[in-house]
Amino acid sequence: MRQDTALPQAQQRHRTSAREALEAGPGPHSPGFPPVRSLYIHIPFCFHKCHYCDFYSLVDTRDRQEPFTDRLIRELTALSPWAGRAPLETIFVGGGTPSLLRAEHWARLLDALARLFDLSTIRAGRGEFTVECNPETVTPELMDLLRKGGVDRVSIGAQSFQPGHLKTLERWHDPANVARALDLARTAGIPRQSIDLIFAIPGQTPEDWRRDLSAALDLGTEHLSCYSLTYEPGTAMTARLRRGEFTPAEEETELQMHEVALNLLRSRGLDRYEVSNFARPGAECRHNLAYWRQRDWLAAGPSASAHVAGHRWKNFPRLDDYLSHSDDGFAPITDHELPDAVRAVSERMMTGLRLREGLSSPSLLRDAEAARAGSSARLQAAAMRLAGEGTLHIDGPVWSLTDRGILLADAITVDLMAALDGPGR
Amino acid sequence: MPEPSSNPHALPRQFIRNFSIIAHIDHGKSTLADRLLQATNAVSAREAREQILDSMDIERERGITIKASAVTVFHHHKPGAKTDDLETDYEAPIDDSNPDLHRPAPGRKAAPEDHGDLHMLNFIDTPGHVDFNYEVSRALKACEGAILVVDATQGVQAQTLVNAYLAINENLHIIPVINKIDLPSARTDEVADEIEQTLGFTAEDCLLVSAKTGQGIKELLAAICEKFPAPRTQVVPQLRALIFDAVYDDYRGVIVYARVFDGKLKVGDKIRMMGIGRSFLVTEIGKMNPKPYRLPHGEIGPGETAYIVAAIRSLKDVRIGDTITLEQDPATEALPGYQPPRQMVFCDFYPATSEEGESTDFEDLRDAIEKLSLNDSSFTFAPVHSEALGFGFRCGFLGLLHMDIIQERLEREGGVEIIQTAPTVSYHVLVRGKDTVTGAGGQALRPVDPASPFRTNVPDHFQLLEVHNPADLPDMGHIEEIREPLCRVEIMTPKEYIGDIMKLCLDRRGTYKSQQFISASREMLQFEIPLAEIIYDFFDKMKGLTSGYGTMDYEVISYKPDNLIKLDILINGDPVEALATIVHRDKAEFRGRGLITRLKEQIPKHQFEIPLQAAIGGKVVARETIKAFRKNVLAKCYGGDVSRKRKLLEKQKEGKKRMKAVGSVTIPQEAFMAVLDQGD
Repeated sequence: MRQDTALPQAQQRHRTSAREALEAGPGPHSPGFPPVRSLYIHIPFCFHKCHYCDFYSLVDTRDRQEPFTDRLIRELTALSPWAGRAPLETIFVGGGTPSLLRAEHWARLLDALARLFDLSTIRAGRGEFTVECNPETVTPELMDLLRKGGVDRVSIGAQSFQPGHLKTLERWHDPANVARALDLARTAGIPRQSIDLIFAIPGQTPEDWRRDLSAALDLGTEHLSCYSLTYEPGTAMTARLRRGEFTPAEEETELQMHEVALNLLRSRGLDRYEVSNFARPGAECRHNLAYWRQRDWLAAGPSASAHVAGHRWKNFPRLDDYLSHSDDGFAPITDHELPDAVRAVSERMMTGLRLREGLSSPSLLRDAEAARAGSSARLQAAAMRLAGEGTLHIDGPVWSLTDRGILLADAITVDLMAALDGPGR
Repeated sequence: MPEPSSNPHALPRQFIRNFSIIAHIDHGKSTLADRLLQATNAVSAREAREQILDSMDIERERGITIKASAVTVFHHHKPGAKTDDLETDYEAPIDDSNPDLHRPAPGRKAAPEDHGDLHMLNFIDTPGHVDFNYEVSRALKACEGAILVVDATQGVQAQTLVNAYLAINENLHIIPVINKIDLPSARTDEVADEIEQTLGFTAEDCLLVSAKTGQGIKELLAAICEKFPAPRTQVVPQLRALIFDAVYDDYRGVIVYARVFDGKLKVGDKIRMMGIGRSFLVTEIGKMNPKPYRLPHGEIGPGETAYIVAAIRSLKDVRIGDTITLEQDPATEALPGYQPPRQMVFCDFYPATSEEGESTDFEDLRDAIEKLSLNDSSFTFAPVHSEALGFGFRCGFLGLLHMDIIQERLEREGGVEIIQTAPTVSYHVLVRGKDTVTGAGGQALRPVDPASPFRTNVPDHFQLLEVHNPADLPDMGHIEEIREPLCRVEIMTPKEYIGDIMKLCLDRRGTYKSQQFISASREMLQFEIPLAEIIYDFFDKMKGLTSGYGTMDYEVISYKPDNLIKLDILINGDPVEALATIVHRDKAEFRGRGLITRLKEQIPKHQFEIPLQAAIGGKVVARETIKAFRKNVLAKCYGGDVSRKRKLLEKQKEGKKRMKAVGSVTIPQEAFMAVLDQGD
């Protein structure tokens, strides 16, 4: 049972805003201030809440798109100084269903971004500007608009190409629309595409999964996110599982599916560069890499999480609060974590080990030792043991997980976190 | 015949009664004690807590009394009367520093004397469980009488008999009391028949009481004064007082409860403990009423009980059963003492980490154990080291309940978190030769105490060693035989369950001894069963089989050789001493299988396959495998997931830190407890 000792949400709701978290770190006016180069924007609207999804979204029956966009632009205005005058490298607009935002609002949002931030790197093709799209809501007009606003990558939530499995997930799109959406994006001149797929769906066989992967590859995608179905707490899917409405995939089946994906995608030139992500070399999602490499990013929109100068926080995840509360544009936040050296090392290991590229051990060990004396030797010993067990690959300064190890990344992170702590704590 | 005294603290011994209340658990002993205190006005109804004599939390929760204490009250009784007036009509003289002591209370006409002669009633509470039989018997040694309480709805139970036998052995006068007669389900006549059938008291001997409503209390008080003998006259002029209990008090040190048999004791006397040979200066003598009060004259004489404070620092300086005499004018011969308590059940306590991540270390554990030992001198402890569990203590207990109570008190009062290993009984191992034999830690194994009644049949050129830790068992090649404690077990059960109980006892290597008629519906079975078979879950099984109606009691009667072997448990090929047990050869496979099956449930999957084996001397008798996990990673870990997922992993890390390492396998603390579940 989780023990919540914090204030009830209603009480702590408006205690802090993102301003306090941002101003706690070096600010835009302090010398040597490192500008933040990534931005995440959360669009919370959906047609329908998919049964597996635990992202914050709502079915917008009251049509609050206009006030939302107004509010979002105010927030972006407040945040923009933290990007300095330096060009943004990555923008990722997720949701919810960003493509559900009507074109007129998109137009305002894109204008604001261009006005508030330096998009030169992105426009020059050296950055990345991704928008998540639902295959049903992609229109030529929207794609055109996005392209003109600097968007150079769409991520399409296909999940499966088989209607039966889509139904299990409570996804109601026509699989054929995925191809259509990608076509529209390409036609509009958006060069990069990614497809999201889900596997280990109850009733799905490894062969079904192979067909889904082939279908995605046949659409010419250079980037695939393949998520093993996770029963997140509080989702309809988890409730249905508890009610015994279906049998979850066996671990053995899931492992086979991992194998299928790895082998098939590698043979087609897409390597696994993260636990659930495959790409042709150079086509990796740069924005997500910023997360996994523990870079800083700004966040806008309800429930969006930010990481700046060692602080982490999350905008309060309710549209009503987001709309009604504004600290000169800054959003009310929750779960604010202050910089902590041990936590930072833990997080670095947690996300770094998910990556094919792994961790740079010299700097990791140096930071670990500074955070907790004696931990460097313990971490090295743990790494040697893991290497002996065949889960960790030590290549000079680089520690990375092997194909077998990457599926054990969490257990290995726990091992290393224990080594970081040391005995008797 | 001396004149009755109006000074309660100078009563001739004819007016003193020392007695205990004995009963099966929950038959209402404590409620009756309260009612007696209340009836003699020592406690007002408002003040009376539910069970006033039980002062420790644990006792109150478990509904049992684990520490005897003596309470003195005063009561007026007319010779020959079958019923007495209650003291609620006048003030009880408890504090004679009050000059108005014997003045009738405001609004009362009668003087106390009108109600008869003033009697001093010292009643000595006894614990209510088999593990504490030795405490019962030492309490009884200080008494002349015993009130045997039997529940009118439950009838005679196993412990009723065992306690009655103890009292009979001490030559005590017994007043049988049938309690709870007010309950609609009371079957008073039948219970009276059972008492007659089992103990030979006629229905006329039994007093009918409801401690709850007060019915029969006047008659009981009259019977206490009429029937219980006065203390014997003194046989030597020198002081001889028997220590029947001792408790540790943070402020005053050890408080000794003693019963004076001969001579007098007063404040300022220098006393000597005849057995231990240590001397102390008496600084305070008092009684409990039930709150302690100092005796104003600071003196007690033959037949009385009191508590004594004498700047005694540690319970180790006091031995229950020892005789107190005066340093200046000592008695030559001590009073017959008690058998020292014998530790029959052993287990290890190791420091553990709580779910909240609070770690206990060895020093914390040592402090807690030492502190508790000041309060309870009947458990033993010695440092021990285990590869898997680190440094801890091997502790000896009187029985299983005693073990549970100590563990609970350590955790509750000592604030420590404990891993407890499986309990083992104390074995006697016969080995050839006289050379010192060492145990697992290199320590010399102790020979069985020559004074022990269980040390029999030791041929020349052999030695009999005490082993209570399977790890200490010498190489089987050197062992002539292993002897284990054998119990006489009495089980009282409704007739319809006899077949099931027989089967349970026989499954536990029991030998049938006798079957006794109790009443039309109940019988008592007597078996001899090895203690090792009882210490796991025999009691629970017996309760289960009899739908809760069965009761049992047991007593170790002898040591008996049997085909006993050490069962090793290997995890990933490494033997884990903390999981080893001594079992009967015929049961080794079954026990081993059960154990590793439970371990398999407790030990999480690792990144490699873990074989679990039960083995006897290298021969594997049961095997299980914990498969390796091959996937342990969350599918998504994006910007918004970092904090939550890190916290999740931190929680797993803390869980892992609570585990103990055996080689490269981490084992949850709980797994070491898995062996406690017999599960068959």
